[in-house]
Amino acid sequence: MPPIVFTQLNYLLTHSPHSIKVEQMWSGSKNPGLLDRFTLAIPFCLDYIKWDVIYNAQFPLLAPDIVFGPEDEKFRPYNAGGEGDLKPKNSLSDWNCKDPTRLLSLILELRSLYMAYQKKRVGEVDDERLKFEINTIYSREGIEMYMTSGVDKPEEVKLAVPLLEMDLNKMVAGSTWRHQQKIYLQVIYPVSRKYLAMASAPRLKLVSSPELKAFFSIDEFRLPSWLEGMCMAEYLPTLEEMLESQIRDAISSIEVRRKFITALAIPFGRPVESDPVFCRKATFLACSGVFTFLVHISLPIQFPRQQPALMLQSSQHFHSHPGNAPIKSAILQDYPWSPRWDVVEMAERIFDYLVEECLNFKKYCNEVLVQQR
Amino acid sequence: MNRYSISFLPVNSFLPSFHSAMDAISLQKIQISGPTLASLIQRVSSAAGDVDGLLFGRVSHITPFTLSDDSSTATTSDQPTLVATVTSFFSSNSTSTFYSASGQLDTPTLNNLLSTSDDRLIGWFSGRRKTQLRPSMRESSVTSALASSIQFSSQVQSSPESLTFPPCIFFLLTTPFQDQLIHTHEYKAFQFRSSTDSFDPKTLDVVNLGPAFRGHYGNFTPNSPFPDLPFQVKGLNCESMVEDEGEKENQKFGTLCDQSFKIGRLKSLMGSEAANYTAELEELYNNMINKLNGLAKLVEQSSARVLEQENHNMKLRYKVAGFE
Repeated sequence: MPPIVFTQLNYLLTHSPHSIKVEQMWSGSKNPGLLDRFTLAIPFCLDYIKWDVIYNAQFPLLAPDIVFGPEDEKFRPYNAGGEGDLKPKNSLSDWNCKDPTRLLSLILELRSLYMAYQKKRVGEVDDERLKFEINTIYSREGIEMYMTSGVDKPEEVKLAVPLLEMDLNKMVAGSTWRHQQKIYLQVIYPVSRKYLAMASAPRLKLVSSPELKAFFSIDEFRLPSWLEGMCMAEYLPTLEEMLESQIRDAISSIEVRRKFITALAIPFGRPVESDPVFCRKATFLACSGVFTFLVHISLPIQFPRQQPALMLQSSQHFHSHPGNAPIKSAILQDYPWSPRWDVVEMAERIFDYLVEECLNFKKYCNEVLVQQR
Repeated sequence: MNRYSISFLPVNSFLPSFHSAMDAISLQKIQISGPTLASLIQRVSSAAGDVDGLLFGRVSHITPFTLSDDSSTATTSDQPTLVATVTSFFSSNSTSTFYSASGQLDTPTLNNLLSTSDDRLIGWFSGRRKTQLRPSMRESSVTSALASSIQFSSQVQSSPESLTFPPCIFFLLTTPFQDQLIHTHEYKAFQFRSSTDSFDPKTLDVVNLGPAFRGHYGNFTPNSPFPDLPFQVKGLNCESMVEDEGEKENQKFGTLCDQSFKIGRLKSLMGSEAANYTAELEELYNNMINKLNGLAKLVEQSSARVLEQENHNMKLRYKVAGFE
């Protein structure tokens, strides 16, 4: 890859506020070698738009060109207009190949122009109900819209409505998320040209940024039901209220898990390793006689309602194949447990259980070694 | 200034109606001769990287050919039937030669490119390997700017009324993503319509010689102008062009021409004195062949120097781009 292009792409991948991915890279030169074109998958409206960025390896100093998706032939971000018109400045008009930030600012500028383009398309759809819905939630910031159209696809308008104004990155103490965490409601309206007295409910789905799964499971959230004749402006406040209280619960349960891990340190000693942000994992070193092993404890989001999963890993027994991996036990989830115990008792019960269980594990390790001979 | 703007001046006062009329006419098809298309494809596929260039030709009005007894189906269209014919092209060895990075026309450069050619600009082309066969962001901007330019519009030929046509034709040439495919090139021809802001795919009618194309060829006026050499090419007129042994013959050839070797003298080939003249003619032919050989050698040498210079330029570009 030409170094100048590489620095621009690298800057884009490390500094983008959205997690942009490179899908493929290839060469457009006569003699293949220098990679000068690539497909970027850019998050938009809870989906990805794929744009081909085309550099010219023979002239790496020239600004890149972009081929948009097959459905976006009408998207003309920098159309020059008529002769003599005043041309507005844009990211390409004073391209400087030595500036690594240029590709990112170009893509971000185009993405926001694309957002406006899709908004305009949705606004032009002749559907009374849709017009009403969009007008009533217009004041909300950051809504992305997308209009699907194609020969064999039904016409639909997709909305991605960002929920909750709180900054999740700040609410989770010590989080190291690079991208802003957000929860969205995806709303899909089928386009109906005729006015229907009883418009069917839109398709609703809650979507969160993937990293959020570490402390809050979106799949377990039950969406409030959509009543007949309802509109988004009525639905959203109820949804947000429910969501907010569950997020607060999820954040406070991080503290419960932290206390439990601290309590585990009483019988087991200090953990060898633990997850300090979401408190979902901890590993302790234990021994029974001369048999030394690691105890991996993973805590579910629903802790303490659901008990932790345990796994033992020997420090002395190894598989001969493949790659001398240490011998591990199955996941142990069937041991005495009550969510009503306090954390100290929980820790002690696990310890007591393992005092017995580790003997079984030791036996198992020895059996594996015998079989390997 | 070029003559397109001059041809436009008389209708300048009808600008608004002219502008809409200019755009509304849809081409029936785009014609190109087999050799022109072949050399365009050759140009794109032999280039090291992406290339673009200008398309020259003409737009002509044709009388629609409706053979129908039924008067109701014989639609009398208000719009004239227009056919564009691509006769030649100009290609640089890179992209972005006559427009900016954001797709705005560089009018002085474009005028400069057009000033060396007598052909009329009717559009442009872009060749890029392994890309989608649809116009890119910049190509859209450039085509749209050209299609709305009054300055570069040309007169429609054999039209009963005065019609001008903007350079709104765009050829896109690509290659398939997979190398294993049976075909090696893909192309698509478009007419850009300013009124709808869209690329209309047009049939590209390849006109070849041969019996199957007879009807076809009747309507097609090929255009192969003799290459214009506006500059004094060193060597064409001086002795150094033909080396060593060629020099003497060259002089003789010159002498022969000076002696005004008249066609009338060919008559002497008949009859009893023929033997003398055969020798004289053979010498003439020999000299001509020598001169042609010398010319071929010169072309070969200069091509080698061009290649050398191109490689040198490429190395410099790579150096700037930080490869070394």
